[in-house]
Amino acid sequence: MNILETKKITKHFDGVYAVDGLSVGFEKGKITGLIGPNGSGKSTLINLLTGVIQIDGGSFVISSKEEISKILPHEVSDYGITRTFQEVRLFEQMPVLDNIFVVLTKRNVFSSLFETHKKFHLERAEEVLKKVDLWEKRNDLAKNLSYGQRKLLEIGRVLAMSNGFGDDSDIFFLDEPFAGLFPEMRKIVIGVIQHLKEQGKTVILVEHNIDIIRELCDHIIVLDNGKLLAEGIPNDVLSKREVMDAYLGE
Amino acid sequence: MDYFVHIAILIGIYSILALSLNLIVGYTGLLSITQAAFYGIGAYVTAILLTSFGMNFFLSIVIGMIITGVVSLAIGYVLSKFDGDYFALGSFGFNIIVYSIFLNWQSLTRGPLGIPGIAKPVLFNIDFSNNFYFLIMVAVFALLVYFISQFITRSSFGRVLKAIREDEKAIEVFGYNTLFFKLTIFVIGAMIASIAGALFASYITYVDPTSFALSESIFILAIIILGGLANNKGAVIGAVCLVILPEALRFVGFPSDIAAQMRQVTYGLILILLMLYRPQGLIGEYKL
Amino acid sequence: MDIIPQLIVNSIIAGAIYSMVALGFNLIYGTAKFFDLGYGVLTAVGGYAVFYFSRTLGFDIYISILLGVLIAGLVGYLVEKAVYKKLRARKASSMVFMVAALGVMTTLQAIIAILFSSQFQVFPATISTQTFQIFGGVITGVQLIALAPSILIMFGLVLTLRFTKFGKAIKAVSDDSEVAKMVGINTDGIISKVFFIGSCIAGLAGILVGFDTGIEPTMGFSLLLKGVIASIIGGVGNIYGGVIGAFLLGFIENFGIWKISGEWKDAISFGVLILFLLFRPNGILGKKQ
Repeated sequence: MNILETKKITKHFDGVYAVDGLSVGFEKGKITGLIGPNGSGKSTLINLLTGVIQIDGGSFVISSKEEISKILPHEVSDYGITRTFQEVRLFEQMPVLDNIFVVLTKRNVFSSLFETHKKFHLERAEEVLKKVDLWEKRNDLAKNLSYGQRKLLEIGRVLAMSNGFGDDSDIFFLDEPFAGLFPEMRKIVIGVIQHLKEQGKTVILVEHNIDIIRELCDHIIVLDNGKLLAEGIPNDVLSKREVMDAYLGE
Repeated sequence: MDYFVHIAILIGIYSILALSLNLIVGYTGLLSITQAAFYGIGAYVTAILLTSFGMNFFLSIVIGMIITGVVSLAIGYVLSKFDGDYFALGSFGFNIIVYSIFLNWQSLTRGPLGIPGIAKPVLFNIDFSNNFYFLIMVAVFALLVYFISQFITRSSFGRVLKAIREDEKAIEVFGYNTLFFKLTIFVIGAMIASIAGALFASYITYVDPTSFALSESIFILAIIILGGLANNKGAVIGAVCLVILPEALRFVGFPSDIAAQMRQVTYGLILILLMLYRPQGLIGEYKL
Repeated sequence: MDIIPQLIVNSIIAGAIYSMVALGFNLIYGTAKFFDLGYGVLTAVGGYAVFYFSRTLGFDIYISILLGVLIAGLVGYLVEKAVYKKLRARKASSMVFMVAALGVMTTLQAIIAILFSSQFQVFPATISTQTFQIFGGVITGVQLIALAPSILIMFGLVLTLRFTKFGKAIKAVSDDSEVAKMVGINTDGIISKVFFIGSCIAGLAGILVGFDTGIEPTMGFSLLLKGVIASIIGGVGNIYGGVIGAFLLGFIENFGIWKISGEWKDAISFGVLILFLLFRPNGILGKKQ
């Protein structure tokens, strides 16, 4: 069953179509790889579905509810969606621990005023940070972390959104979480993604590394020029000629 | 002795202003250069209510806070449409507009003549025209504001403010309606500044527009940048330094009109030097 | 007496002066990429330099004007060298630049007040005391003279930007200073020169205001605001837009106070600014976001 479906979604920048009438579905509880050459519309699609940029045409449906054609960034977590960014976006001048706390606490202005982090927040943050190997760094400012640690912290931040209280997310968009990571850090990220899957979460993964795609993904969707080029199980799709052409050609 | 009480009262009033602006600039990252406008509204409301209606001082503080709250909500809403440099510029503009209103709405504010003869409050037979008692009152307010600021900045709300400062888009996608957060803190900051205005009006017993010009907003900004942004203790330390420093210049023997200009030179240079060599100020937790 | 011709004349004079400030401000914003709030005070530097040379030292008025323009340029250049260049090297955020610029403004303004007192001063009436009637409006000789340099400067700038190597370098730095650096343009050098030229223009504007009405240490502040507002009306960084915005602002201000007191001028201009920021943030010539 598809937890998220797009219906003829369109986005253009100055007349150039970044996403062009795209209709795709993401199956619940599965890891879907979103691949395609640079500029094929992968990140744009994620930005559209998370309200970071607005849709020009078409709509999308989450959990078979109403069709959504306009969504604001702060509304997406109500629909159970959370994400990472292609270029890591942390709260730089805040400690690592606060980067996690900030997504664990109340969303409402007035109730958040009368809340400080509680023991269960701390336990949850500890669990998350240990998973991404940053517990020792919890009091460091995010800006002082290494590149790899920054990527891991962002993964930790979305992992905290799978928390069983507050805003529990179901759909996780991970935009190139492996880019530039050393092998041992890759293992950590792979572990987090598998952990999410075990919890029944839906993961949508933008990735260039074919080996990781083969290892992790249940299904892949190939985009080219904002259109669907192919989809199916990884081994089938990756052996298709037009897919390899799109990657290598031009 | 009287002189030291006077300085201490000024430090108290500027500490309140610095704490209020620090919530907006230091914690939320909104470079607002209009705090003197809210300070002025608080001062004028108290001045008018006390001189024209003989109202109780403490009640006038509350009314001043309400009026400032409404005005700052409107201003904050307009400013929320801008970000970064344009926010600063727009806030700049509102200071000028509010200043113009103080200067030109003569039937209400008496324009450049100002409003003299503001009474000092009396509470439970304590007559605050004794400066020492007035100092105690200012200190009580300053402490109260300090604890409120601590309470806000240590709450989950305060943490979200910092996240907005660091990356508003990123915190938004985690489900925070940042507009509400920004407006709330902008209004709280403005209302706190209006308390300082009421205290100032009552202490000096006279208000005129020049006390609430843009240069005053810049002065308050200099205080928090010197003390250190996103640190409530820093705001107070900044207020102590920048109130005392120009007074020291007076002791060096400058005539008073030059001393007033030297005060400007001092904090102007402090701003430049801090930006060049220590943008986080003395004990700041946030670098612009 | 019919007031409209006079309002038109006043609007054009105001527009000419604002357009000079807007030109310099835009030029600096284009290359250095921050709102130089300290720019306005250079008008006072120019004005007071002329006052000092002509009034105190008794120099010839034209030599004083030349020196005033150069000194304003020099001060702007030195501030850029001592402050902004270092901030740029550190890749400071635009907020840091703005706060530093506020510091520059406050400091220079106060220094002028210490040197010359904060009193309003007038220049010796040596240039022209004639007045002319134009379509029923009165225009002074000084005001007529003020129109000429602003028009000259505008055309001079346009021609320089378009046809000289220096102008093309400025354009390259404005478009993308990193790329400009890569193709071998000395971006710091260009920005310093732009600061010098922009500050000379500010100095001249201040001098003209001095001849028109008079000078005071805080004069730069309101002039800066007008220049900034004009730039935003016309689209920040757009040289032509700034000039159009300046004249538009001149008209809005002068007609705005037709029925109400002149004291509201600043509030009116800022009302205009905020409306533009809200509805046309890229100015009348810019694309809507």
